[in-house]
Amino acid sequence: MANKNKTKTPEQIQYDQLQKKHELKRPILKNCIRAFFIGGLICLVGQAVTYFYIYFFNFTEQTAGNPTVATMVFIAMILTGFGVYDRIGQFAGAGSAVPVTGFGNAVISSAIEHRTEGYVLGVGGNMFKLAGSVILFGVFSAFIVALVKTILTMWGGF
Amino acid sequence: MKKRWKYTLVVFSLLLLLVGCTNQNDNKDSSMALIKTTQPTPMKLSNKNSDSLPAKVKKEVANIKEIYDVAVIEGNKTILVAYKVKHLYRFRMKSIEKRLTKRLKNEYPDEKFVVSSDYKIFLEAVRLREAMDAGKISKDQARKRFNNIVKLKEELT
Amino acid sequence: MLKGAQTWVFNSKPAILSTGVVGGPFEKNGNLAEDFDKFYEDLWMGQDSYEKAQRILIEDAVDIILQKEGIKEEKVQFFITGDLINQITPSSFAARTNQIPNLGLFSACATSMEGLALAAFLINYQGAKRIITGASSHNASAEKQFRYPTEYGGQKPPTAQWTVTGAGFALIGSGNDADEKPHPRILSATIGKVIDLGISDPFNMGGAMAPAAVDTIERHLQDLQIDPSYYDLIVTGDLATIGRSIALELFEQKGIPIKEEQFKDCGLLIYKKNQPVQSGASGPGCSATVLYGHLLNQMKSGRLKRILVVATGALLSPLSFQQKDTIPCIAHAVAIEYI
Repeated sequence: MANKNKTKTPEQIQYDQLQKKHELKRPILKNCIRAFFIGGLICLVGQAVTYFYIYFFNFTEQTAGNPTVATMVFIAMILTGFGVYDRIGQFAGAGSAVPVTGFGNAVISSAIEHRTEGYVLGVGGNMFKLAGSVILFGVFSAFIVALVKTILTMWGGF
Repeated sequence: MKKRWKYTLVVFSLLLLLVGCTNQNDNKDSSMALIKTTQPTPMKLSNKNSDSLPAKVKKEVANIKEIYDVAVIEGNKTILVAYKVKHLYRFRMKSIEKRLTKRLKNEYPDEKFVVSSDYKIFLEAVRLREAMDAGKISKDQARKRFNNIVKLKEELT
Repeated sequence: MLKGAQTWVFNSKPAILSTGVVGGPFEKNGNLAEDFDKFYEDLWMGQDSYEKAQRILIEDAVDIILQKEGIKEEKVQFFITGDLINQITPSSFAARTNQIPNLGLFSACATSMEGLALAAFLINYQGAKRIITGASSHNASAEKQFRYPTEYGGQKPPTAQWTVTGAGFALIGSGNDADEKPHPRILSATIGKVIDLGISDPFNMGGAMAPAAVDTIERHLQDLQIDPSYYDLIVTGDLATIGRSIALELFEQKGIPIKEEQFKDCGLLIYKKNQPVQSGASGPGCSATVLYGHLLNQMKSGRLKRILVVATGALLSPLSFQQKDTIPCIAHAVAIEYI
């Protein structure tokens, strides 16, 4: 009996309750604190890289964003390649997945993984397996927001 | 697994070496310009005889409560005002910049002002001041650097 | 012979004549390292891809058996095996290497006991003289197929399980050799039904598989009209921490008197406490390597006489999970005695 309707039978509901009792819950507070500190650490490193570029090279605060992101993704690439980033990820959770280093890790790990299937279909075809939806929905929502802003400025003159 | 940490360490130390690849001979002031308040004395690069103008501008800007460090350089056509905003007020950087430009325009309607809160512009201004003080560059070179700073301010990406 | 609803009793008691157990680097640092025949230092095993490496595990395990028995592949009638990878390619490609007539199986992590039950049936009814059966899994190839790329920094919840990199195979025969040596012999086997109680979290397999294990054990005891004390040990394949505690509570609810010391789990036995496996091990290789290595050694040294091995499998695919289906599970049980 395929469950076309999503409602559960009484036996399933009862088992669900029993199962929840035994299930090891994620330690949410501990995870949040870890994510906060590791995420902050990554941002601190990013800020240091920005200052590095402002101080030693000819970038202003406005323009130093680009090399900073490139450097952070490069660092993520090195850590992923050496198999260190997934340990950081297990510890930090969102703290390492949300910053741009997490995005880099998603793309790079997929690329490394599918090397065995060749460069075109394997690496090229599967590289954006995880990051594809980030790019798609990011671009799409940016488009919507820009549209809304344009309409509002035309009407309201903000 | 021990190998992995060794490789990571090697790569990071190589990256650190890059930091050493710099030909900036910075003096004490500019090397700390990003971190502490340097309050450089205002500088005059132009041929006008408005001797006290940079000093007056600096005093006025320094009085604004959101700003804690100012560098003023007067060039031939424009006066560069580079300032640093206190951390909590950084949310209102754009409005501070607008207010400052309007105020300077009202006070000194004959002068053209280039106003920037960017760290880089401030740093370059301090470096320029130090180079002039140390006598390392000529007035012409200083003017060229000044124009570069103004151009740098206009860059967007 | 069929007894009850879904249990076979093997009158000629087919014997497990020899075993081959191969493991990976993680298992080498684990709890049961002495019970493995061979280890590999890394997950690639000198191959180009993880799927090819899994094939090497199977080929090695079969070679070890043939060497131990001093026979060639032609003396073995059938090769019954399966694994987790799409279209069970590692098993099929290993069958291509050893050229033994091949019966490929799939019941996820319950494949090892499904193979053992079928092999015992065939030997019992003289459909074959010798059969090699077992199961294998590889951590990286399973993660790549079912979850995320191996280097991805996603955080696994504490209910997640670690797929064993290993292959466990055994040679089954009639065991009626002239010198009457004792062998671990297969007494009976219960084939499980597919049970689904609505769990849909692929990171919580233990919770999904526990009802299937309990159902099969209950049927086995009912069909044979015995109670749990008949066995020295009832061991499940990969319920791990959460599945095991749920199963114990379900036994209590159903009034089946299984004691906690008597009820163990391969997924909890194979790794040490300080290895980062979240709640335990899983994979077809888990039950296979622990049974054909550690448990049979325990029987041969006299510490265990009669055991019931219940391998549990979660019959989901990455697609079924994305399509919002729940996780149906199955468990197959085989009773083994050392006589």
